[in-house]
Amino acid sequence: MKKTLPLFLVLILGVAGTLTYLFPHPAIVNSDTFFRNEFLRVLAGFALVLGLGSLLKVHADKIRRKRANWQYSWILIVTFVITSFIGLFGGIEGTGPLPTRIGNFPFDIWTIYWNVTVPLGATMFALLAFFMASAAYRAFRARSTEATILLAAAFVVMIGVLPLGNSISPHLPSFAQWIMDVPNVAGQRGILFGVALGGVATALKIILGIERAWLGGGKE
Amino acid sequence: MNILDLLTKIDRRIIYLVLLVVVILPLLFPKAQSTRVMLPVEKLFNAVENIPEEKALIIDFDYAPQTQPELEPMGFALLRHVFKRRIKLLVLSLYIQPLGLAQNALTRIVEEFNSVAETNADSIIYGRDYVFLGWVPPPIIPILGMGESITNVYEVDYYGNRTDTLLLMRDIKNYNDVELLVSLSGADPPKYWVAYAQNKFGLKVGAGITAVSASEYYTFLQTGQFSGLLVGMKGAAEYEELVEQRLDIKVKRKASEALLSITYAHLVMIAFIIIGNVGYFMRRRQK
Repeated sequence: MKKTLPLFLVLILGVAGTLTYLFPHPAIVNSDTFFRNEFLRVLAGFALVLGLGSLLKVHADKIRRKRANWQYSWILIVTFVITSFIGLFGGIEGTGPLPTRIGNFPFDIWTIYWNVTVPLGATMFALLAFFMASAAYRAFRARSTEATILLAAAFVVMIGVLPLGNSISPHLPSFAQWIMDVPNVAGQRGILFGVALGGVATALKIILGIERAWLGGGKE
Repeated sequence: MNILDLLTKIDRRIIYLVLLVVVILPLLFPKAQSTRVMLPVEKLFNAVENIPEEKALIIDFDYAPQTQPELEPMGFALLRHVFKRRIKLLVLSLYIQPLGLAQNALTRIVEEFNSVAETNADSIIYGRDYVFLGWVPPPIIPILGMGESITNVYEVDYYGNRTDTLLLMRDIKNYNDVELLVSLSGADPPKYWVAYAQNKFGLKVGAGITAVSASEYYTFLQTGQFSGLLVGMKGAAEYEELVEQRLDIKVKRKASEALLSITYAHLVMIAFIIIGNVGYFMRRRQK
């Protein structure tokens, strides 16, 4: 039953989800709208709680078993509790029942967002430029004809997209754009078709119960 | 250490330091760079320009702090265009993280316009000229739901007002009243809008994306699924150029100022790649 019921639900809802695209009859469209607007929101709420619970469980387990880098799990749990507490009782802009201000310093969700989330997110992404430069220096070698063409195309695009490219030659930006519009699109479209067909195949396997890895382990 | 080691084994800290210097210096002494406007950007500008008076534009602000430097200037330039042309505007986010950045962009550009407005008609008024719908999870609900009724999906706006009481929403019921949607994102949302809103309801979609994800999005532009495309800081700078030239809005151009930093960073990367390759070929010849 633990496996049969989820498989049955996936079959019914999977088929129902595609029907609205294939047969846009009002009855089908209306039931699809109902499921999406009413049912899916409730499901999303449950999924959020389940996800947070699972996250805490994994990190609590890591601390208990003293797995590699378990100390960082404490940071996650402590910040999770503090943020949740401020969010639930302090509100987004300090309008909740909890006093979220010491003197002129507010510590509501907005403060956390602007002073922690934004700088940390920006820092993580900014580091990429340095890693990319270092990796390109070490790995980008003209070892073969294909690699040399790739290298040349990269140089054209890197310079062509800049104002400098237009200063060197007005044809350079057009050539860079052509590389993106033609050879790049040709390759990307092939990948896209492959991914789309793979997606359809995987979806069918899941809907028909052939692929069952998503059910997880455990006994019937 | 011989010359080969010098060329092929440059310490990564030296690379980091050089890159840091060339990126930071132009930002400390900013100077807007003029840039040539390419077709994908011009297409999006024209798509916004040609929105009929009775129809609206939706901007999906879906960039997080990670991609803010590239995508926020696009948002600023688009908002300036929209407010200058008095296009009806709806703003939303499919995810929670970009909400603060979206509100920040809106507040900033609205204040910019209102600081020079002389009358109520000149001003940009919330509820009359634009509405910030906020966030409804999961993304599939607003994308498909707005095709039937926008106020049913977003019963209240970001500020807690009932959307059916707002003046603007009396004329904008669903996608039939929307001419174009522009999705600014560093991830997949532009594809979601095409896959669901465009395929099912025929909504026109434009996109502003990060440079790193550009290659996969050109396919959508070529097929006409995107009405226009802004790619990275360069795309934002091109849109700023158009806004300044065609709409005569002269303000600080963040993306155009950052172009010099990117130019130097690209040149440094190219230089290091060439140095590495020279070392590689010298070593190969030696063997």
